[in-house]
Amino acid sequence: MKKLIQFKNIVKNFDGTLVLKGINLDIYENEFVTLLGPSGCGKTTLLRILGGFLEPDEGTVLMDGEDISHLPPYKRDLNTVFQKYALFPHMNVFDNVAFGLNIKKEPKDIINQKVMRMLRLVGLEDYAKRGITEMSGGQQQRVAIARALVNEPKVLLLDEPLSALDAKLRKEMQRELKKIQQEVGITFIFVTHDQEEALTMSDKIVVMKDGEIQQIGTPTDIYNEPANRFVANFIGESNIIDGIMVEDFKVKFEDKVFDCVDAGFSKDEPVEVVIRPEDLDIVGPRNGKLRGIVKSVLFKGVHYETIVETSQGTSITVKMTVSEDKPVVNSEAGEMMSANDFYLDILDIDELTENFIISRADAQAWNPETSERISIYEVRHEIQKEKGSYPVTFSTSAGTTVTVNAIVAEINKVVDEEYGEEIYAVNFFKKVDEIQESLILDTDLKIWANAYAYDLEEKTAVEITEVEYDFDPQNIQPGVYDVTFKTEGYEYKVDTTDKAEVGASVGLKFGPEDLHIMRKQ
Amino acid sequence: MKQFRKMTYPYVLWISIMVVAPMLLILLYAFTKEGNSVTDFLFTFNNFKRFFVDSVFVEVLLRSLRVALVTTILCILLGYPAAYYIAKCSEGLKMRWVLVITFPTWINMLVRTYAWMGILQDDGIINKFLGLFGIQATLLHTEFAVVLGMIYNFLPFMILQIYTALTKMDGSLLEAAADLGANRTKAFMRITLPLSLPGVISGITLVFLPAVSSFFVPKLLGGGQYVMVGNLIESQFLTSGDWNFGSAISLIMVIIIMISMYITRKVDKTEVMEKRA
Repeated sequence: MKKLIQFKNIVKNFDGTLVLKGINLDIYENEFVTLLGPSGCGKTTLLRILGGFLEPDEGTVLMDGEDISHLPPYKRDLNTVFQKYALFPHMNVFDNVAFGLNIKKEPKDIINQKVMRMLRLVGLEDYAKRGITEMSGGQQQRVAIARALVNEPKVLLLDEPLSALDAKLRKEMQRELKKIQQEVGITFIFVTHDQEEALTMSDKIVVMKDGEIQQIGTPTDIYNEPANRFVANFIGESNIIDGIMVEDFKVKFEDKVFDCVDAGFSKDEPVEVVIRPEDLDIVGPRNGKLRGIVKSVLFKGVHYETIVETSQGTSITVKMTVSEDKPVVNSEAGEMMSANDFYLDILDIDELTENFIISRADAQAWNPETSERISIYEVRHEIQKEKGSYPVTFSTSAGTTVTVNAIVAEINKVVDEEYGEEIYAVNFFKKVDEIQESLILDTDLKIWANAYAYDLEEKTAVEITEVEYDFDPQNIQPGVYDVTFKTEGYEYKVDTTDKAEVGASVGLKFGPEDLHIMRKQ
Repeated sequence: MKQFRKMTYPYVLWISIMVVAPMLLILLYAFTKEGNSVTDFLFTFNNFKRFFVDSVFVEVLLRSLRVALVTTILCILLGYPAAYYIAKCSEGLKMRWVLVITFPTWINMLVRTYAWMGILQDDGIINKFLGLFGIQATLLHTEFAVVLGMIYNFLPFMILQIYTALTKMDGSLLEAAADLGANRTKAFMRITLPLSLPGVISGITLVFLPAVSSFFVPKLLGGGQYVMVGNLIESQFLTSGDWNFGSAISLIMVIIIMISMYITRKVDKTEVMEKRA
């Protein structure tokens, strides 16, 4: 096959933002090439540079070996199907399609012949005299394709042409476009953000992100051997697990070594392992290569999307001391007041403020008749940066006081080396009614226990996805309770045709060829 | 919505008294003779006969139509490039241009026309400038002055109409034209121009109609010897007190205006029909 179009180191800036960062790409004759990427990845910019509507800041575009970078659009031997079709509203279907031929001043009878042939190709020969505005979206789409193809270009550019159509029509047009491309036998360059569209139609997919090409390959290559995490996530769904390449054809993840079909990595190189949900099978707990518990099952029509957790995340358990609400009554001033004992981290002492103490102790004063809140006037304490128990006295301006204990303790955290995570929480005291009245108990428990989790490697916060406790919030009695906070463990998305029971213990089965190894970036 | 309908009653009453009733009166006057008493009317077609028999009146009518036509054509020729230029400007510049164009209309037309009298008169600024080269020209009280005054007054309407039509046009159509091999001239002739025609046509209605019936511009800039239909009607009502003849001329004007509106609408329609054809 012959190289038809060559992009050489194309760079494009918009107001100081680099939209294309040096694109090198060859496109061959009779190929159906798709530029695929999320919005803002530069795919449309690249297409517009090829169409001649933008000039690159750097680099050249060659067509048949000739530099066309600075040629105006009307001198280029290619045609475009625009995103919103850009059909001429003051012309009928025939005149729209004939536009290019009329400009070239071809004889009337030839124009007539060619236009009608094109309209037949797109199945609109009966609509030649119709006004553009009377056509449906799908029909307008076909007119736009016919208008471009009638000029017999060497390349047809399509800028997200199906994005305005509904799902069913889009599928139909995908098939039709592929058919048209095979029939006319010219190069199609198709821009889309829809990975399914790209997989369905293309001979070659160019995956782009942030102005750079991520991977070029056939749909099967790109799906089965994604080059990196971005491609794996963007094309289809995938489970991506951190692993280590022990040696050629052996990868280790979740503390187990598995056979795989990849080689060429250095010894003990950290890698990412991609497993497609449809490559995993759910089997009996003893028959799989990994064991786990079914966490959720979603019905998706053709299949069930099952989430299996193979190991739990990092967790920490704290004590919650629950007491009856016994507020202090100051009948002279007509005030009531309450506060809890509370725990403090030794590290918190340096940055101790009155507001922090009031919120940790949940100290409040109010007028029992009007339920109006009364502000706390004074906080007296002598908390030291040393482990121990210190009295803290809160008082209002009317002289109502409550004294509680502040317990300074070592920081309470769990570090999980396997996950590279750290989770952190403190013991706390609460009143019965506060627990009963909480509408978002899980979130409140996180706040009360000051619970946080961090990724040690990336130094970012990790979400605490589970809060476990074994009391009934509505009928809680005074006492001491365990509350456990957990982060997400290793979860696998599995597409199955059989429905698994939530909570069941299952095994996950996969073969060596189902593991796709990617280098870490 | 029904409960709001009652709120339109005052307006309907107002329209009936201030617009419909006077128009009916004009209709009545046009077909009656002078000296009517309140109770009985003497119907006649003489008022119309007089207009068309006396060549002076027909001449005035033709002159009005000619001046209005020339004004409209010049407004298109001047206004289209201006509107095209503004439509191509950046957003911020567009707003400023539109402001500049509408700015004069904040001042009363009559006042601005008086200003032109000062500029055009024999010792006005233009003649003083021409005097430097030893030229003296009579500018005021000529057809030139009348047409100039009308263009000055009505050009903003033409520009704004065309400008609106041009900005409404989808820019990707020009890209599509270029993509299909049209250079800039061809793209303009085949895409921009036809798509801006509705703007030109509504511009014509906004310029031609007030121009044909204008009376103060010809009165101030044309002087006593330059009479257009508007002036004729004015003099019938205010100077000679012949309300019946004045009404008849007004009615003739109304009919001419209705015919010209019908024609422009029809042209507009055929444009649309061509799209559908």
